[in-house]
Amino acid sequence: MILQALHALFTPVSLFAVFIGTTSGVIVGGMPGLTATMAVALLIPVTFALEPLTGLLLMGGVYCGAMYGGSIPAILLRTPGTPAAVATAIEGYPMTQQGKGGLALKVSVVASFTGGTFSTLILLMIAPALATFALTFGPPEYFLLALLGLAGIVSMADDENRLIKALISGFIGLVLAVVGTDPISGMLRYTMGVTDLFDGIAFMPALIGMFSLSQMLELTGTKQVVDEAAIETTKKFKREPLPKGISKPIWLGSLIGTVIGILPGEGATIAAFVSYNVARRRSKNPQLFGKGSPEGIAAAEAGNNGCVGGSLVPTLTLGIPGNSVAAALLGGLLIHGLVPGPELFTTYGVMTYAFILSLFIANVIFLLLGLFMAPYFARISMTPTNMLIPVVCLFSVLGAYAMNNSITDVFISLLFGLAAIILQKTGFSLGALILGLILGPIAETGFAQALIIGHGSYSIFFTRPQALALWIIIILLLITPMIQIYRQSKQEKKEQAIG
Amino acid sequence: MSRRVAEVLLLSGFLVLAVLLFRSTASYPESVQGSTAMYVRFLGAALGLLCTLELIFTLKKRRDDDNPPEKMNIAVNPVRFWGLFLLLVIYCAALSTLGFYLTSILFLPVSMVLLGARKPLTIVLTSGGVLLFVYFIFARLLEVSLPMGTLF
Repeated sequence: MILQALHALFTPVSLFAVFIGTTSGVIVGGMPGLTATMAVALLIPVTFALEPLTGLLLMGGVYCGAMYGGSIPAILLRTPGTPAAVATAIEGYPMTQQGKGGLALKVSVVASFTGGTFSTLILLMIAPALATFALTFGPPEYFLLALLGLAGIVSMADDENRLIKALISGFIGLVLAVVGTDPISGMLRYTMGVTDLFDGIAFMPALIGMFSLSQMLELTGTKQVVDEAAIETTKKFKREPLPKGISKPIWLGSLIGTVIGILPGEGATIAAFVSYNVARRRSKNPQLFGKGSPEGIAAAEAGNNGCVGGSLVPTLTLGIPGNSVAAALLGGLLIHGLVPGPELFTTYGVMTYAFILSLFIANVIFLLLGLFMAPYFARISMTPTNMLIPVVCLFSVLGAYAMNNSITDVFISLLFGLAAIILQKTGFSLGALILGLILGPIAETGFAQALIIGHGSYSIFFTRPQALALWIIIILLLITPMIQIYRQSKQEKKEQAIG
Repeated sequence: MSRRVAEVLLLSGFLVLAVLLFRSTASYPESVQGSTAMYVRFLGAALGLLCTLELIFTLKKRRDDDNPPEKMNIAVNPVRFWGLFLLLVIYCAALSTLGFYLTSILFLPVSMVLLGARKPLTIVLTSGGVLLFVYFIFARLLEVSLPMGTLF
């Protein structure tokens, strides 16, 4: 069947579809506000006129390309093209400011390629078995999974005082995520009668405001994103070897991304943050994180691209989408009469395997695009700010509006942009806030549903083996930074006493 | 305003928010008092506790510190920073009346001039190029809805 699938895939039309899909995906992912979900959803009507396989290949290419494309503006402009690229922006932009934007792009594309290829291999080999494991996760595990992501807040703190501020920022994010409809009773909360807030504070406008508009406002005081000397070093990136020590975070991110991707409902954003957090824990140079660490970019990008193959495991085998993009893709499958389940691997096996194999090609395409086009992408950072700022602001406004066709979202974006500057200047953590905002709905729904299932008893969070395993991972993730913070504060007190 | 004053003001605001959040759960339906209301109460209590702790640390530092207070500088170039912010507010407010293209054709050149661009040809070409790109890629190819004005 694999041979037949290869035969179906290696036709000019199919290969062209993968190429066009991946290239468009990189472009769409590179535009702030346009997500992979939106791109796949917009493609569904287009695929009506095409052969089912061609349509699937287009959608798969867009998914892979968009996941990588999000890292380009994240690195060059601190404007994540997709929510999954936030962690990349935290490390990538400082590298751009140091004139290493090209190298950051190189690390990002290699990590994305490895993560994507690894997860596709997993999808091809052990899809049904892994999907059955993911099905055993219930609300308590989802709540704990959100906690696992939130444990990353601790690592965003540098010392004792900043830890409290990072935690406050995380809680502010969680509080903002409460706005909207109560997931259990359907009651409206804190919406102030604004219809656009009934579904909660839209994540993308908040993200665009905090990471894009705030950055553009900050840049009003400079003439260029990077100075002349830094621009010169950007040009030399082709000859620069990949930084040492990035293979570990790449493989770690690939594994974490694939596993998280398999869990229904968990997206590339969580995968990127968890991978980034683990890489920071295990790094020999944790002090570089937040100031331009290639290891951070490698882990985050391998993590979010690892999610691509992972999310397709439950989508193709059980009809449960691994994340929102996979949900859009599932819609595309159903429209073409392809019902997920065992039949997809038997009756429609040729098409399914051709689709899976096409993801390998898509990964190679974006690798080549990234490697050869990176110097041109990097030139974006050389544009004078008096031209760059208005254009990025326009796309940011457009991105904030396009998600829900809402002017309120545009104002939310502006508000978040200004708030982000004030919070950052007073030492609060934007990364922690956004993490709270992303994970809030998952945490609340998991917590509330688990308590209902457990008849109000909290023991439900400790009795199931999966939950216990997650608790152990959470504690392990928290121990190291806590010890580090304790040691740092002790050292500072000693120095103060001597001084 | 010094950075410390700004921090105290922000933390006090968050503390008030935490108290209001905690109290608001009393009005939640009875059916969710043990689930979502409990979650929100936890958020309120934890946020309140953390803000109180941080406020104590901040105020304590003020007493210990002999150095002059650090000034909070929001913008390196205040005229450009606040000018751009004001332009963005006007731009967003005008979107629903004038529509995307008309507001953008005004916003782009004005903000470019505000930020120091002086070459008319570059300004016109960049503004026109960006809007053509949006029209062909966003509006035509991807069929993304752009803000429509009530007048145009």
